[in-house]
Amino acid sequence: MTSARTVWQVALREIREHGRSKSFLITTLVTFLLVGALVTVPGLIGGGTSEYTVASVGEGNEPIATAAEQLGNVADEPGAEPSVAIELVDFDSVEAAETAMDEGELDATLIDGSEVIVESVGGFGESELLALLQQGAASVQLEAIVAEGGEAAADVIEVMTSDPLETTTLSGQEPGDETRGAVAYAGLLLLYLAVLLYGNWMLAGVTEEKSNRVVEVLLSSVKPWQILAGKIIGIGTLGIAQFAGTILIALIALRVTDTLELPSLDAALVFNLIVWFILGFLLFAVLYGAAGSLVSRMEDAQNVAFPMSMIAVAGFFVSIAALSDPDGTAAVIGTFIPFTAPFVVPVRAALEAIPAWQYIAAVVITIATIVGLVLVAGRIYAGGLLRFGTRVKLRDAWRSAEA
Amino acid sequence: MSGSWYKRRADGPGGIHPYPGRVLELKDLHKRYEDVVALDGCSLQVERGRMLGFLGPNGAGKTTAMRTIFGLVTPDSGQVSWEGSPITIEQRRRFGYMPEQRGLYPKMKAQEQLAYLGRLRGMSSADASASADRWLERLGLSERRMDRVEVLSHGNQQRVQLAAALVHDPDLLVMDEPFSGLDPIATETMADILREEAAKGKAVVFSSHQLDLVEDICEEVAIINAGEIVVEGDVQRLKDAAPIRHLEVQLDGDMEDLFDGLEGVRQIRSDDHTHTAIIEADTDVRGFLSRAQQMGRLRHFSYTTPSLSDLFREAVR
Repeated sequence: MTSARTVWQVALREIREHGRSKSFLITTLVTFLLVGALVTVPGLIGGGTSEYTVASVGEGNEPIATAAEQLGNVADEPGAEPSVAIELVDFDSVEAAETAMDEGELDATLIDGSEVIVESVGGFGESELLALLQQGAASVQLEAIVAEGGEAAADVIEVMTSDPLETTTLSGQEPGDETRGAVAYAGLLLLYLAVLLYGNWMLAGVTEEKSNRVVEVLLSSVKPWQILAGKIIGIGTLGIAQFAGTILIALIALRVTDTLELPSLDAALVFNLIVWFILGFLLFAVLYGAAGSLVSRMEDAQNVAFPMSMIAVAGFFVSIAALSDPDGTAAVIGTFIPFTAPFVVPVRAALEAIPAWQYIAAVVITIATIVGLVLVAGRIYAGGLLRFGTRVKLRDAWRSAEA
Repeated sequence: MSGSWYKRRADGPGGIHPYPGRVLELKDLHKRYEDVVALDGCSLQVERGRMLGFLGPNGAGKTTAMRTIFGLVTPDSGQVSWEGSPITIEQRRRFGYMPEQRGLYPKMKAQEQLAYLGRLRGMSSADASASADRWLERLGLSERRMDRVEVLSHGNQQRVQLAAALVHDPDLLVMDEPFSGLDPIATETMADILREEAAKGKAVVFSSHQLDLVEDICEEVAIINAGEIVVEGDVQRLKDAAPIRHLEVQLDGDMEDLFDGLEGVRQIRSDDHTHTAIIEADTDVRGFLSRAQQMGRLRHFSYTTPSLSDLFREAVR
């Protein structure tokens, strides 16, 4: 029998047994309902008014602000509190407006009906405002086209598909980073959740086999690394399916309720996120699996899980920092450390703030670490699995299993 | 007595039994855990179609020796071979193992668990499933096939554990204490199945502390003490060749000094009216018999080849 078939059998058991366990079905259902509700309910109940203050420098800003406000409130129930209120304040100079923005008094500055300045493009509130202003400007242009009697379809399409306002940011980010940053942030959050959630599944699964001693029967005919690999693939498949289902439900709910404008994603960005999701998941699954083999009781499992969780938390925070400063020192260092790279690199790549060589280096380092860890973890796993009772020291586990 | 009678196989080299079916061989295994010596030159052979009882006091190295067969323990030195070659993982899939610490997935259904273990050892899904059903039926668990293992009684879990070792129709069965914790009926079933498997031509080796049972069902025994095999061979031949005899006397009254004056006494045990002594084979017991008759009413007197228990006690003394 080939190794692949053995690994597949182990993976299949994980999928079958976990997949139909009550706890899995219940958490999946609850997650689906919760995500559906989180996405749907704010759209249904309106959720108060978002108030924005926008500086106006020069002429031609008012129609845009008015149109933006109308567009923001288009879906409101008649008589309900408006969703969006945009207050326009006249400023004499761009410098004065920027100073006011720096002091946090303003959300954006419109200049001559053709330019917009925002603080940065990462935050969600500002994203909504910027999107509304762009749409407002587009509708003003459309009105102008119609008023001039022009009706060339090409003109209309051009206006609809372009951002008519030239956007600059105080933080120096490129416009267009906005949705990419948000998507990268979402991807990051998903990876972080997946690492903690499914990492703990790995840990529990391995510890369970040790605590109920079935592992000795398994190891009599299967190699330790085959069990480890099968578990990672099985739990990974199930986890990714659960995640994909959750995301699908969120997208459907978004579409049905029209709560948020869905960003259009380019394939490279999505590919980038998926690649790093898989790499990050594999890396931590191996770590958690090896950690699980060191303990034989569930009570001890949380102790060995703690360092792993801390690594994931650190990676997450470095990448949050990278989101606002993708070229910063922390982000660059995080790129070359395999345990933070899965969090940091996709964010930097999404913001197009990573040189190709760094990206490639990060992929190579991470894959090499995963391969190395599988070998190391396989040995720790083998050494730890047949030692019962108290927690096995890493060194002893390594020693007792001659590769 | 010569101190080395037990070091030889009673029917070893030059004996009449050439061991044509010898398939599993453990050769001069050494294993040390820090300051504990688990195996100290352990050598063992198991034959096809024969049942080997593997005996030894707790901590003598039985479990460690069995684990080396499955690569669960890597010996510091020595070889484990199957049909003359080192054992590969493919060959191990043709072995069945029941570890001392029983273990199954508690939440898996009995039938699915067995089928899974069958598939892990290379069976097709259909074969594994059919074999799982067959074994559950043979063990009287057909009606519980779809129960989760955790809801089964202790005895039934043991049965599933046995089936787990047998589901893939292995060439070799290695069982660590298969009889421990079994009631008399289950013991009989277990013994029957082991006999059947041996009769099918499989090599069977199991460890046990139930010496009478081993004497009953095994053709061969190996006794391990302090990591070393001290007695090995055909049970009957070992008994015949042993330089000791079993002397049993039942007399009315306490006779603490009964064996005083008898030469070559190695061990004495007394309970109620039964007095047992292990004596050297060349001791003349005729004088003792007449003395015993004078001491009280003699109810029972026997002078026989030693039992397996006697051999065991002698060997690990």
